[in-house]
Amino acid sequence: MESNIVLKAKNISKTFTVSEDSHNTVKHRLFSLFNPLRKKRVEALKMLSLDIEKGECVGFIGRNGCGKSTLVKVLAGVYPSDSGYLKIDGSTMLMNLGVGMNYELTARENIYVSGSILGLKIKEIDRIFEKIIAFAEIENFVDTKIKFFSSGMMARLSFSIAVNAGADIMFLDEIFAVGDMKFQEKAVKVFEGSWIEGKTVVLISHSMEVIQKYCKRVGFMKNGELVYFGDPDKAIEMYLADNQ
Amino acid sequence: MTLRVVKDWIRQSNKLERIWLLAKIEFKLRYYENKLGLLWALIKPISDMFIFYIAFELILKQGIPNFVSFLFIALIQWNFFVESTAGTVQILQSKKYLYEYTNMNKIEIYLSTILANCIGFFFNLLFFLIFYQFIDKDTPGLTWNALLFIPIFLNLLVFALGFSIILSSVYIVAKDIAQIWTVVIGVGFWISPILFKLETFRETLPGVDYINPISGIIINARNVLLYQKLPEWDLFLFDWIYAAFVLLTAIILLNRLGRKAAEKL
Repeated sequence: MESNIVLKAKNISKTFTVSEDSHNTVKHRLFSLFNPLRKKRVEALKMLSLDIEKGECVGFIGRNGCGKSTLVKVLAGVYPSDSGYLKIDGSTMLMNLGVGMNYELTARENIYVSGSILGLKIKEIDRIFEKIIAFAEIENFVDTKIKFFSSGMMARLSFSIAVNAGADIMFLDEIFAVGDMKFQEKAVKVFEGSWIEGKTVVLISHSMEVIQKYCKRVGFMKNGELVYFGDPDKAIEMYLADNQ
Repeated sequence: MTLRVVKDWIRQSNKLERIWLLAKIEFKLRYYENKLGLLWALIKPISDMFIFYIAFELILKQGIPNFVSFLFIALIQWNFFVESTAGTVQILQSKKYLYEYTNMNKIEIYLSTILANCIGFFFNLLFFLIFYQFIDKDTPGLTWNALLFIPIFLNLLVFALGFSIILSSVYIVAKDIAQIWTVVIGVGFWISPILFKLETFRETLPGVDYINPISGIIINARNVLLYQKLPEWDLFLFDWIYAAFVLLTAIILLNRLGRKAAEKL
């Protein structure tokens, strides 16, 4: 059973230190050696432990500022954890508005770069290239630099890369809240299609409908703590009570 | 960490492919956006050589034989080092799009960038070899000793990679490093044997050929390419140990500071 776990976090925490003066330069640092900064510590995550199994779809809910986005960034390996232990087995991809893209590159180049970062070989990207373009509906702009794209085209392209290339573990942060209605419909259709089968997905959403429909286990977060992790109905109930 | 990276590569072979893909794109972005393209890689050392030839050979009359070749081989190595270090101080910021959404290993960003710089360097080296062998008059010509330039260049590559990682990691916590390095590079240029006769350089600045890492590289590159001699082995060995130390420091720093890049930059 243990080998089925693709993500294991034990006692992970994250504290951000926010200072009023930005001491990014050596000069500032020299002049403030004997002048302590006014610092504020924000505990975004407090001693959190969880396991996620291969092929599982789990959700995280909680009010704004409860630490959901920080949690997925730490779990995805983008932010380092201040304490504890985190083991990720496979490539990860964090997606909110889209995957990272370079505005100076064309759509074609961005597809190859993103696909490669997500662990695909060039030949594998060749095979799904047309599918990505068709899904994103940008057939006439394949060799156009994406800095000339509209925000809708950008969103479609990055979503299409994410859906078609994918990583072993996908972190989807409020993807249903961006884009126009057509885009949102597309996002939902993807979830209803075969795409989600066999993929490990961590979902963050304020839509209880989405969470209830797709997640096997749901975590309820409050003030940086994982208050509950388990049955979706119970987690949603706790979330709704917190919103009262 | 180094072992983990190597093991990772063997397991997931697409990493080498990815580094090459990123290098090609980096190279394209740097050169193909301009009208003259790759020629710019050559124009820079040629314009420098023109200025230094007038100043040091025509006006100061140093009397160095084959001064253009002497300058050419030093300048292309120096420019490679400067491009790979000063040009990459902000690399974790400019390439953030590569790692802010995934758990991609940052070392790959450095390797691909340095690989892109190598393409420009080899283009220049080819021109140097043609110039030295067929155009420059009264040169003894290349011998098998020239092959020893390969480990010398690899030494330069390790130095460049190490300093690039150190500078860009420090940049996360102290942005002034970009300006500081510009000053260091300026001083480093003048306390190196790029422009001066080796004897004069060593007499005036004893020991600097060991302190300034690029000095030893340039001295030995000239030995094997211009003078058909063997490298100065003590200097060769010292520079490899020096480079290994720099790279080790770099990896420790990248591990400590680099992991915070996504949240700090």
